Amino acid sequence: MRAPATLGELEHLVLLAILRLGSGAYGVSIARELEREAGRALSRGALYTTLDRLEIKGLVRWKSEPGGSERRGLPRRVYSVSARGLAAVRASQRILARMWRGLEGVLKEPS
Amino acid sequence: MRPPRLSAWLLCRVLPSGEARAAILGDLLEELDASGNTPAARRRFARHAYSIALRYALRRAPHARTATRKRGETMGIDAVRQDLKFAVRGIVKRPSFAAIVLATLALGIGASTAIFSIGNGILLQPLPYAHPDRLVYVSETNHGVRSSFGYPNYVDYRDRARAFDGLACHSTTSVTVLGDSPRRVDGRLVCWNFFQVLGVQPQLGRLFTAADDTPGARPVALLSGRLWRQQFGGDPSVIGRTLRTNEMSFTVVGVLPDGFRFSRVEDVFVPIAVTLTASSGWLDRGNHFGLYAIGRLKPGASLQQAQAEADHIFADLKRAYPNTNSSNGGRVVFLRDRIVESIRDTLIALMSAVGFLLLLACVNVANLLVARGAARQHELAVRTALGGTRWRLVRQLLVESTLLSAAGGVLGIIVAFWLLQLLIALAPADIPRIHEVSLDRVSLAFAVAAAALCGLLFGSFPAFQASGGGRLQILARASRTSSVTPHRTRRALMTVEVALALVLLAGCGLMARTMAGLHAVNPGFRSDHLLTARFALGGAAWTAEKRLAFFDTLLPKLNALPGVTRAAFTYSLPIEGSQWGSIFIVSGKPVPPRDQLPAAAFCPITPGYFETMGIRMVGGRTFDSRDLDASPRVIIVNTTLAHRMWPGEDAIGRRLKQGWPEGDAPWREVVGIVEDVKLEGVDQDVPMQVFIPLTQDTPRSVAIVARTSVEPMRVARDLEAAVQSVNHDVPLTNVQPMTALMSDAIARQRLSLVVLAVFAVVAVLVAAVGLYGVVAHSVTERTREIGVRMALGAEGGQVLGLFVRQGLFTATVGIFIGLAGAAMLTRALEKLLFGVKPSDPATLGSVAVLLLVIAAVACYIPARRAARIDPLTALRAE
Repeated sequence: MRAPATLGELEHLVLLAILRLGSGAYGVSIARELEREAGRALSRGALYTTLDRLEIKGLVRWKSEPGGSERRGLPRRVYSVSARGLAAVRASQRILARMWRGLEGVLKEPS
Repeated sequence: MRPPRLSAWLLCRVLPSGEARAAILGDLLEELDASGNTPAARRRFARHAYSIALRYALRRAPHARTATRKRGETMGIDAVRQDLKFAVRGIVKRPSFAAIVLATLALGIGASTAIFSIGNGILLQPLPYAHPDRLVYVSETNHGVRSSFGYPNYVDYRDRARAFDGLACHSTTSVTVLGDSPRRVDGRLVCWNFFQVLGVQPQLGRLFTAADDTPGARPVALLSGRLWRQQFGGDPSVIGRTLRTNEMSFTVVGVLPDGFRFSRVEDVFVPIAVTLTASSGWLDRGNHFGLYAIGRLKPGASLQQAQAEADHIFADLKRAYPNTNSSNGGRVVFLRDRIVESIRDTLIALMSAVGFLLLLACVNVANLLVARGAARQHELAVRTALGGTRWRLVRQLLVESTLLSAAGGVLGIIVAFWLLQLLIALAPADIPRIHEVSLDRVSLAFAVAAAALCGLLFGSFPAFQASGGGRLQILARASRTSSVTPHRTRRALMTVEVALALVLLAGCGLMARTMAGLHAVNPGFRSDHLLTARFALGGAAWTAEKRLAFFDTLLPKLNALPGVTRAAFTYSLPIEGSQWGSIFIVSGKPVPPRDQLPAAAFCPITPGYFETMGIRMVGGRTFDSRDLDASPRVIIVNTTLAHRMWPGEDAIGRRLKQGWPEGDAPWREVVGIVEDVKLEGVDQDVPMQVFIPLTQDTPRSVAIVARTSVEPMRVARDLEAAVQSVNHDVPLTNVQPMTALMSDAIARQRLSLVVLAVFAVVAVLVAAVGLYGVVAHSVTERTREIGVRMALGAEGGQVLGLFVRQGLFTATVGIFIGLAGAAMLTRALEKLLFGVKPSDPATLGSVAVLLLVIAAVACYIPARRAARIDPLTALRAE
């Protein structure tokens, strides 16, 4: 089995947002989720190119759903995280956790 | 609900069509709808759209690579980036091709930029004075030829002229600055407001005032920055100190800015009033002692008005003073035109030549690109077949040529930089304003423009040629036999190349003929092993008696110097030009009207001058120790004068008188006739000349001529020491062999020849290589055809003939076009030529033949390869 892909920070965040949104993850909702939860007002150019990149890496899949009148009938790409994407998120999480170990004292939030 | 038009359009252009574009557009529309289509929402839509467009354009969208592209092309920055990448890849893949193209361009752009810089610096840039466009140069004319002012004429003109804000006269001079090591420096006598008219401020002290410039005023001087440093060590307290010269002592009142110069390098400026004494002759209206004027036109006054005014004033002066002004007029020209007039024609000739070289470089690169385009036809055809539009291919080729020309431009600027240094070093020292020449912003702009023009010019040929024809046609062509279109284009370009090369070669040939003509001129004396130098005995202390005594003491010392076989003094040196021109009358003949009096160059010499110079006596005797101040007045004339004044008669024993008929100059008797000697340069006709014994007319400034048995300059130090041993305060100037003087006299022509020769060699090489390439390419393409022909019984010689004939046909057409062009264009050279006409049939004919021979060789080499083709191999190659 191939090693899980390494993730950039933005890719990591986008994957997490898709996971959080479940079956309702598409361009607009992902942007809103990132803005609300991560405080990141992403430019749409960055968002769509990141989604393209994740797709190329095989970390996300999408299916096309017909859009309503609010989109003038244009289709909507609904994204989901692939198994490989999930593995990548987990791997990233593990790396972070490993790197955190022993730093609790240093990195503790001031109370 | 309508989305902002521009941003929606942009998205559609940038995003690949299909589902991805629809989804993104849908997302944006949905958001716009959700926020109620307010102006803020529409602005947000636009912002999103731009960010997407930018991202997708900057980095090739990953999905674009995978997605099927219906139109097979992208637009905008993305596409250009892609084209650039292809172009760089293409260039790197064929480094030798790129090297040839870049070398051609660097040469063409570099040479033209260097020559343009010189032309620009000298002819086009404004003079380094305040408001230079209003500065004019005023002189008198005599029979329509420029002459200097008689001082009283200048005063009358100045007082009556209304066209100027300021008018100032000036005249060159030189003085010996006394001190530990006396130095001869050039200077200028100027009217007090000379610097105010030019708009120059001193770096120290003050300029002259009207009070400085009145007879009897305390003598004052302005120094150049250079003399200030050399003589006073750059001491700021120099103001008020004394500058001791052989003429008189001057109080320094100011130091001019560094780098100031007026037409030549000068170190001392003195108000002209110091020379305007009654005994000096300056106040005589008929004496023209080299006085000229500069003026600053009033705002609104035109050159034409100033000229009309001068015409009017001089017409009045002619009526008032018929004795001195019968043939005189006034002339007003722009100062800049006057300063550059000696070099103008040379520069224009060189600039047009370099224009041809640049054009040739372009055509050659176009040719190379067409050839390469032909070789790449298969690639292009495949791309077309796979859906690349014609515009897309043309764009690709244009990007390539632009890239090449940009790189060529950069290299060209480097070449121009070096070439300019070289040309300035090679240039004759007396070229006006040459020190102002640099590779400035204007020159760089020229280089950029030249590069851009090249790119467009040579890029468009192969681009449109390669994109011509339908897709199937191109594919068919590329896969099989020779392609007709690129061949035709190449032949046409080749014709142009040969024509351009011929024009440059013709120019070079004419200049070579000119140089040969100049070198073949018999100057009338032996110029080898001849050392020349000048010195002056200026100042009131040097009376005529003291000067004669000095000459009498010095001459034996010079004759005794080791390495010197004979020495003499003369007032004017051959080639360098006459120091004293004057009208004269001859006895026993009717006196012509005043404006038709003959004029001759008068020249005092010591006995032994003709022997030293190697000038042949034609008749009579030469001067000797009998000819003293108290003895009868005698002269020797040249053959031109003897023939013109006394045609068919013996001149010996005839008499003539220098000056006006009513003047009190003595009558002088002709005792000898000498061979003509070139006096004013090598290329000018010999004027009438009169030699006078130095004892009977003792000038203040003389030249030494010394015939040497060794290399002339080896005697220079001893010569100097000999002069200083007689008087410490007499420095020698212009110590140089006669050959150097002669070589300087033809420096303008030599520079033109060198430049044109380099251009012509490059042009011929380029054309020859181009022809070689065309024929070689044709041989490669027609290998199969040759195979068939030879299989059917054609001899090698026939095949050889076929290709040589084709190549030579192209060359011959080019040569004829070039001959027609050369006949018209070499006129630009006319003023530089000597002994040969611009349309000289012998020169044009021989360069045509030379080019034809070179063309024949260039065709023969690849054609021989065709003749040696083995039919079996050739047919199998298919």
